Amino acid sequence: MAIIECREVCKSFGEKVALDHVSLSIPEGGIFGLLGPNGAGKTTLIRIINRITIPNGGEILFKGAPITQADVEKIGYMPEERGLYRKMKVGDQAMYLAQLKGMSASAAQKALKEWFIRFGIQDWWGKKVEELSKGMAQKLQFITTVVHKPSLMILDEPFSGFDPVNADLIRKEILRLKEEGATIILSTHNMESVEELCDNIALINKSKLVITGGVDHIRREYGNNNIEIEYTDADGRHTEVVSREKAGNDVLQSYIDKGVTVNSYKELMPRMNDIFIKLVTGEEAGEK
Amino acid sequence: MNLQKTGIVITREYLNKVKKKSFLITTFVVPILFAAICILPSILMMNVKEKSQKVAVVDYSGIVIPYFENTESAEFTDCTGEDPTELKNQLKDRGFDVLVVVSQLDSVKSVSVQTYSKKPAGVDFSENIKSKANKAVEQYRISTYEISGLDQIMKDVKANVKVNEFTLDEKGNATVSESGIYMVISMVLGMMIYMFIAMFGASVMSSVIEEKSSRVVEVLVSSVKATELMFGKIIGIALVALTQFLLWIILTLILVLGANAIFGLSGMVSSTDMMSMTQTGMGGMDMAAMTQNSEVSVIFTTLSHIPWGTMIVSFLIYFVLGYLLYASMYAAIGSAVENEADSQQLQLPVTIPLMLGFFIVFFAFKNPESGVVFWGSMIPFTSPIVMIARIPYGVPVWEILVSVLVLLATFVLMAWASAKIYKAGILMFGKKSSWGDLWKWLKQK
Repeated sequence: MAIIECREVCKSFGEKVALDHVSLSIPEGGIFGLLGPNGAGKTTLIRIINRITIPNGGEILFKGAPITQADVEKIGYMPEERGLYRKMKVGDQAMYLAQLKGMSASAAQKALKEWFIRFGIQDWWGKKVEELSKGMAQKLQFITTVVHKPSLMILDEPFSGFDPVNADLIRKEILRLKEEGATIILSTHNMESVEELCDNIALINKSKLVITGGVDHIRREYGNNNIEIEYTDADGRHTEVVSREKAGNDVLQSYIDKGVTVNSYKELMPRMNDIFIKLVTGEEAGEK
Repeated sequence: MNLQKTGIVITREYLNKVKKKSFLITTFVVPILFAAICILPSILMMNVKEKSQKVAVVDYSGIVIPYFENTESAEFTDCTGEDPTELKNQLKDRGFDVLVVVSQLDSVKSVSVQTYSKKPAGVDFSENIKSKANKAVEQYRISTYEISGLDQIMKDVKANVKVNEFTLDEKGNATVSESGIYMVISMVLGMMIYMFIAMFGASVMSSVIEEKSSRVVEVLVSSVKATELMFGKIIGIALVALTQFLLWIILTLILVLGANAIFGLSGMVSSTDMMSMTQTGMGGMDMAAMTQNSEVSVIFTTLSHIPWGTMIVSFLIYFVLGYLLYASMYAAIGSAVENEADSQQLQLPVTIPLMLGFFIVFFAFKNPESGVVFWGSMIPFTSPIVMIARIPYGVPVWEILVSVLVLLATFVLMAWASAKIYKAGILMFGKKSSWGDLWKWLKQK
């Protein structure tokens, strides 16, 4: 079942169209990548899902029913434009944001303490945010996003601005939360992380949905169905790329029949980066 | 509106502001200033008794000197017979401050008086000498008529006419008035409302800007609606203002009462006490003291006739409504910018009407009945300042009601418009917004 379903969502700001009849379905569980170049309308769509922006047309369903403000409390949102009150104490700040998400003071305190211990920042509770290093502030930001155990997390460019150590920490937390059954919407430009993390994606370009579906499915669809085979014969090691006109086993069989030793058999998938550029610009990327 | 969440926003805003050092400093420094304003005049009045002047008198006429009685401010020494020129040279050595030379009686039975001193003797002193010399000459002239029983006659004819100024209220009750006092009170009230609105309105704006520039705002609006956030902020800061206001009053009272207890000042004497004091004291006191005291008594009588109840209630109403109106405008402007510097230009259309109200109070109040003042107290953007300044003069209740209702309606309209601008504005990053942008956001669905 889809946790979020967008039906014909439209939004325009004056003359400028930000979303043009976008329909997509985000399955429950797993990581969903929301891709697209800058200004494509990703952030607008995310804000509409969070009910920050009201669409001009279409609707958003949360687990099958039109989304309500109460549903938004089950969402954890880390916007691209994010930050914290600089003058506020870390603990007060985290408590404030948790309570705004509907947690009681005692529940918020308990959950926050757990997270602070997990991230090793329990000493920072009474410090002001401006005293924190950037990495610490980023950890705090992530904690405030997930503290209320949201069933859906929307992370807009979660790795931008994070140093590699913290980015890795966040990546591990995202995977852990996925395992615990949460759904994560990841809006990112980082195609490597899409390949690594995402199960499904949607690509938006110029306010319109270009493609949506499973990552593996899309990569196959946009690949040339090539197979890379490495084998050893009397002359030594060879690598050959053959187009997969036949079933994989048949290709393999044909090599075995030749009497060579097959060292590896690999389906060649196009990189998400190339698919992205191809779909957005309509040109082939890479060796050109 | 989700009241629970708005409540959380209000609480944060309130605690955050109240815990600030700047809040604590203004809360404690301002009452000291207020108290100083209340206490200083009394202290000055007590210490104004100048050190007594030593006066040498050379009286050639022989009639004036008996009238120079020693007072607290002057001590007279009869030096008649000495050479005035010599005295002038030795003035300081002999410990005199002033030399007074009275001429011989001339053909019209009058004298002329010269005073010499190193430092100017002061207006009060010369007035004192003049009135005493006049009295001596008058007495001398009268005595030359040789009327029997003159003393009794003089006592009988002595008149002391006092002019009391009254203003009539609608029921025809007379009250003592002094337009100067009304003017001062109106200006103080008008200035206070102006200051509070400007101060706390700007505080709302900087709070909005802080959330936007620190980028925390989008995180917030994913949990709480933009309108809840805006009104939470406005209400939170209103509570801060009221807290500060209350603390100011309490602390000022404590300081003033404390000072009175310590110095035994009569600053808080009731008007009736003052009145009776003036009545009984009138006979013995000299002219200058009498005028001064009757003025003080008029001030107190006038103060006691100002409709304090109406005034305090209207002050709170106009402050709260005026603040709400301006705070929502300031919030809208704050949402459009990312730092205080950029807000300068956008602020202008908000600060101009506010200043206008202030100027009306300052310049138009020479004539509180004028059209400018009337309309200024009706137009919602100036009415909180102008109407509160009009109230000490007495304003018909219906005028206050109309003005309050217009103000309330304007606030509701402005709050709606500001909320729309705010909602769009807080999510616009990286671009300097203009009034055109604000207008565009207002029209957006």
